[in-house]
Amino acid sequence: MRPSLKAATVAGMLLFLLIILVPFWWIASMSFKTYEQIQFATSIYVPNPFTWENYTGLWTDTRFPLWLRNSLVTALVVTATTTVVASLGGYAVARLRFPGREAVASLILILYLIPPALLFIPLYRVLAELGATNHLSSLFLSYPTFTVPFCTWLLIGFFKALPDELEEAALIDGAGRVTAFLRVLLPLAAPGLVASAIFAFTLSWNEFLYALVFIQDEQAITVPVGLNLLIYGDVFHWGQLMAASVITTIPVVALYVFIHRWMVEGLVAGSVKG
Amino acid sequence: MRPRASVWRRARIREAGTALLFLLPLFVLVVALIVYPVYRAAWLSLTDKLVGYPERFVGLQNYAYLAQDDTFHAVIRNSVVFTVGSVGLKVVTGVLMALVLNNVVRGRNFLRGLFLLPWITSTVIIALTWRWMFDAFPGRGFFNSVLLDLGLMRRPIAFMATPEGAMMAVIVANWWRGFPFFGVSFLAGLQSIPRELYEAASVDGASTWRRFWHITLPGLKHVMIVTTLLSFILTINDFNIVYVMTRGGPGTATQIFATYSYQVAFGQLRWGRGVTICLFVVPILVIGIILISRYLLRDRK
Repeated sequence: MRPSLKAATVAGMLLFLLIILVPFWWIASMSFKTYEQIQFATSIYVPNPFTWENYTGLWTDTRFPLWLRNSLVTALVVTATTTVVASLGGYAVARLRFPGREAVASLILILYLIPPALLFIPLYRVLAELGATNHLSSLFLSYPTFTVPFCTWLLIGFFKALPDELEEAALIDGAGRVTAFLRVLLPLAAPGLVASAIFAFTLSWNEFLYALVFIQDEQAITVPVGLNLLIYGDVFHWGQLMAASVITTIPVVALYVFIHRWMVEGLVAGSVKG
Repeated sequence: MRPRASVWRRARIREAGTALLFLLPLFVLVVALIVYPVYRAAWLSLTDKLVGYPERFVGLQNYAYLAQDDTFHAVIRNSVVFTVGSVGLKVVTGVLMALVLNNVVRGRNFLRGLFLLPWITSTVIIALTWRWMFDAFPGRGFFNSVLLDLGLMRRPIAFMATPEGAMMAVIVANWWRGFPFFGVSFLAGLQSIPRELYEAASVDGASTWRRFWHITLPGLKHVMIVTTLLSFILTINDFNIVYVMTRGGPGTATQIFATYSYQVAFGQLRWGRGVTICLFVVPILVIGIILISRYLLRDRK
């Protein structure tokens, strides 16, 4: 590599690192500052003195533990239903021959592109008629509208990439399609299922619009909506807000570190081939 | 020949039956929670539904009202500025990020993973953080602190309090969240360009710039079109970033389709009109979906 190109690469990399990391550093450093340090900007770039009071305060003075529990329950329920529905659908579209298969594939893609902004008002009415608003069940029902199309689309790719021979062998041995699916293909597609489950979890964990619109009951608030309550209360709890952001981001980053290679490949596969 | 053919036919019918069974949960979900609500949205937009009152059919009145509503005109302008601004920035930075990462020899996968962090972080957290970084209080915020400490400014500026500053802030936050995905997709695109093309061009004495213009950019065309369309659809329908950072303000300076729809539907309780605002995006959505489907479904074949 030419020296000038090498220098440009190093400079570019440092610049991108700075752009990516500054907001994360802002969140992390603010979460360890006292209220006075933040209000009067006494130590802007690093917490001095360093304090855990935002974290302990978050746990004892706010409803954050409850929001966290609601978010976790919602994300787990949605991930479970999404994985079942999407793996069945993804398998059918990828590996079974039936009339209208192409149409179903396009339909899934179209559904993935329908924005929640278009659905939130009518969905609210439908959920209200079902008596599901103001309760976490409204999220269990509405989140699959975006997780299922996305995960099905992802899993179609994974199922298509599996070799035909193993499934054919099972079919010749007398296994039905359902057995072949459960015993042979599902285990083979495990990396895809994990990636899809993590996507479903992350999307549900971070969702804001539906949670804001469908739920008013304080007992059923999830983290993203709760975070906004920390600012629009009487006092600006920026320190606690940043501590909450750290705690909320950690599980997602942990999951992501665990699977990031599959995730990136799965994501990119859809848009790059060709 | 005959019995064999019928065995095959029966097998095929059985297979279609299995497919139907497997797709059933998906169909139920889609019809009940997507198709039916979309139909309800279309119907609501033809009524003057106010919360607490029964809906009355009013034809195209909501559409006619919005067509001459000054606030809605501002919403259209803001949505275009917001979308074109952030998607344009994402494309340019995405290309740069991919070029940089493509030249990194050691630790490329690690950096790729690290750069994607904004993309998996909650949008609400991102919006809150950028809002504070741009703001002048509490404690001056990030940009004010840096600019003051570098001696580039005398007094803190409340960026979020001016229409241009607020629009810039929401664009930056949206850009920051989205460009890593562009970079990672473009990187995969770069890696699929055959090396021989570059070698041949070098032999012919083509400059770096010419190689970039005639090999790299055409090689990235496909992935660029797909990611740009995808991001365009997601951005023009964005709600989280604008709602959390500005609530559409100051005034209506950053009000976009989804936030305005929310304000009209849940602030003024006019559901008919609120739904209509979002339906105005549908033609753009349809064009985008058709284009993306053509590109993506062609790949899958």
